[in-house]
Amino acid sequence: MPASRPSSDQILHRLSSSEYEIKLKAIREVKNQIIGNRTKKLSYIKLGVVPAVADALAEANADSDNGANLIVQSTAVIGSFACGVDEGVRAVLDAGAFPHLIRLLSVADEKVVDAAARSLRMIYQSKLAPKFEFNKEENMDFLLSLLRSENENLTGLGAGIVIHSCETRDEQNILCHAGSLEKLVGGLDGSMSQRDASLESIATILKNNPGAVSKFVELQNGRALRSVIELTRDRFSRTRLLACLCLICIKNSSSCFLQDIAIKTKLIYILLELLDDSGQVGEEASFAFSSLVAGKEDLQKLAFEANAIDKFYNHLQNPELNSKRLEGIFLALGDLCSKLECCRSRFMSLQVLNLLINALTHDEANVRTAACICLKTVSRSIKNLSAGYFMNERIVIPLVRLLSDLCTSVQVAALGAISNIVVDFTPNKSTIIQCGGIKELVHLTKSMDSSLRLNAVWSLRNMIFLADKMCKEAIFMELTASSVATLICDPEPSVQEQALALVRNFVDGCMDCVEFAFAENGIILDAVGRQLKKSPRIEIIIQGMYAVSNIASGNEFHKEAIMQMIFPQAESGPQSFLSQYLQSNDSRLRTSAAWIIVNLTAPASPGAFGRIAKLRNFGLVAQIKRMASDPCMDVKLRARVALGQIISFGDS
Amino acid sequence: MPVRVVLENTPTPSHVSAVTPRRRSVQSCTLLCAGQAFSGTQNVSSLQKDEAWRVNVRLQGCDLEHGYLCGTMEALNVPMADTPVVTFWEGEIVDARNYTFFTGKWEAAPEDDIRHWTKFTSFSPLLSQVEVDGGKSMDLSNYPYIFMRWKEQYFVNVGTDCGLTIAGFYYVCFSCSDGSISGFYYDPNSSPFQKLELKATNDGRSGFSFSSYELQ
Repeated sequence: MPASRPSSDQILHRLSSSEYEIKLKAIREVKNQIIGNRTKKLSYIKLGVVPAVADALAEANADSDNGANLIVQSTAVIGSFACGVDEGVRAVLDAGAFPHLIRLLSVADEKVVDAAARSLRMIYQSKLAPKFEFNKEENMDFLLSLLRSENENLTGLGAGIVIHSCETRDEQNILCHAGSLEKLVGGLDGSMSQRDASLESIATILKNNPGAVSKFVELQNGRALRSVIELTRDRFSRTRLLACLCLICIKNSSSCFLQDIAIKTKLIYILLELLDDSGQVGEEASFAFSSLVAGKEDLQKLAFEANAIDKFYNHLQNPELNSKRLEGIFLALGDLCSKLECCRSRFMSLQVLNLLINALTHDEANVRTAACICLKTVSRSIKNLSAGYFMNERIVIPLVRLLSDLCTSVQVAALGAISNIVVDFTPNKSTIIQCGGIKELVHLTKSMDSSLRLNAVWSLRNMIFLADKMCKEAIFMELTASSVATLICDPEPSVQEQALALVRNFVDGCMDCVEFAFAENGIILDAVGRQLKKSPRIEIIIQGMYAVSNIASGNEFHKEAIMQMIFPQAESGPQSFLSQYLQSNDSRLRTSAAWIIVNLTAPASPGAFGRIAKLRNFGLVAQIKRMASDPCMDVKLRARVALGQIISFGDS
Repeated sequence: MPVRVVLENTPTPSHVSAVTPRRRSVQSCTLLCAGQAFSGTQNVSSLQKDEAWRVNVRLQGCDLEHGYLCGTMEALNVPMADTPVVTFWEGEIVDARNYTFFTGKWEAAPEDDIRHWTKFTSFSPLLSQVEVDGGKSMDLSNYPYIFMRWKEQYFVNVGTDCGLTIAGFYYVCFSCSDGSISGFYYDPNSSPFQKLELKATNDGRSGFSFSSYELQ
């Protein structure tokens, strides 16, 4: 049946009527028409019905029967407009209805209070709802009065406010110290709606807050925790999911909580079972699963034993899956394969990769991102990388296309996957070169976004690991020496580190490759030297030191260039970086410094004698002698090799 | 490195016994890092004739925390193959944390283990303790030699029908000092004590060079 078109002159006129019956009838009419009907809501919002209803609410007198009746009806209409439609929430807030609804919570008429609380709950379900300021004392008094109320609508509103507005550690602590957890635990024995609201708000307060978690697990001598565990067996799937989320927050806050293998296994089985729910619970279950297993090898092992990969794979085979489901499942699989080879191996043997490849070209950016993240963790397997399972056109072509995706998070995720799959231990990276991968990667090293620059340089660094000279030349020509030098001095330290590792790999391999460091009048070598003299970060210095060490394993010219870098003036000046790093507290840095000495004093090189004399003049030989009994075995052994070489030229 | 197939069924290797992961892993050694290359020979002599195959090894991954390393092994002048034969292998590092000297699988009994480990002179100081408990109470973190088992997992560039087998595994001893590697191939169905001898290579450089990658 065709719906009647709302007429502005009719409905607006009647809503503002001074006659009670006409106004009430108009409000009821609106209420009946918009309930569950998004199109109708939007059409009435456009007509300006929301301000008219808000005016009716503001003008009504709660002390009279008629007024109370008008308030209950108009409040219900306002709640309905705010339910699930952001435009509705915005219109309600713009019309100034929010303070009226808050005011009505303290009137005597219970029906009015109920209606106002229900309406406010709807508003607080939206991100557009005003942020509740927990740090104001009067606000906390108000919130606690809601939470300790006997009225289910008021406690539900209190929980809704917590879920909506508690975001920071400080806010969690305020709520915790004010005793809100104790109040919320009371709701765990209530109706389904109360249980769910309590569970969700408890999880909000506990998330990433070890202090709040400690307080919660001790609450009522552990009875509160036992109640949550009990609710993982509830007959309603949403309650089971929310109970699991609470327990995951507890588990994730410290490894000392919920260590019992039975509980961990139970959580895994419940979440896997909840995947079967066809609604929102099923969607959210895979995200909850991700946060349960992320970074935890023991839980990944249990999930593997529970056939989690097979279960996710079975769901993925359903062609009707919506994008949220796909995203959640790929993220869950990604976390599951992040540490254990047995998981990756199962993933590969089930050929989940084929479904993942399809997802790389999905319409939704979130799905493309999740697929890339999953590919990144699956490709952490050296065994599979070496077998060449990822370096093929079916995977590389769509991945390279994603490098120019409009969404930055997709680009970053694609770079993450590419940086792994290029480590295929083959010398020529023809697959990725032929599909234009180098051009795209080099382009992203110049991005304004530092995460794109970082991951692009990282990919190139991994790509030239053990690559042949031709492959390196192709990349170097596209990248240019001056760009490499710029990246070495990038404002982001993580980019500097990857850029120095890139140089280290460029100058590895055949002797000719050392020349890359000397292109454009040695602009790269100068940048490396500058970083070694000024960077305070160990990780950056280590990469720079190995770049220098690799160059020092070249020919006479290369070795002398390094000597010039270490001792720029003929006579003694400030302490050289090499001397400084030979004495570092970090053994990795001492090792790299010792390797430079080993390479500079290699006995087969004609200039070794002169270099040894110079090293001795600057006190470095004495340092090496002391290092021959270094507590770190690697340092000690390299120092002894260097010393042996030095002695072979005659020690003074 | 693969050896010739002997057509007999080999039983499935048993699982290695778990070791309580409390001890320190072996200390890192720059010469035992991903990217490092080694070359040398494997003696495959039999009663009929003396024979040695040239062998190149490249480390592709090393995870001391988990006592794991892996890489490829290339056999260059295999008589029955047209091209060099490349295999991918995975290694267990004997660190008394993840793995002991006792193999516990791959058809290697403790007596086989001792018989092979004692072939390495650097093993002599450890023998008496290993005979007691496989070395699980030892602190090997400062020992200048690293003992390992390398097990080939698959052929990289030839099919499984190439007439070669990778059923056995290597007992390996690595010198942290100069990166030299000695090994003995063990397969009950192949000639015993086939010796592997490798030295660190440097691509014709005047010194040592180290590249690196980092998985995300």
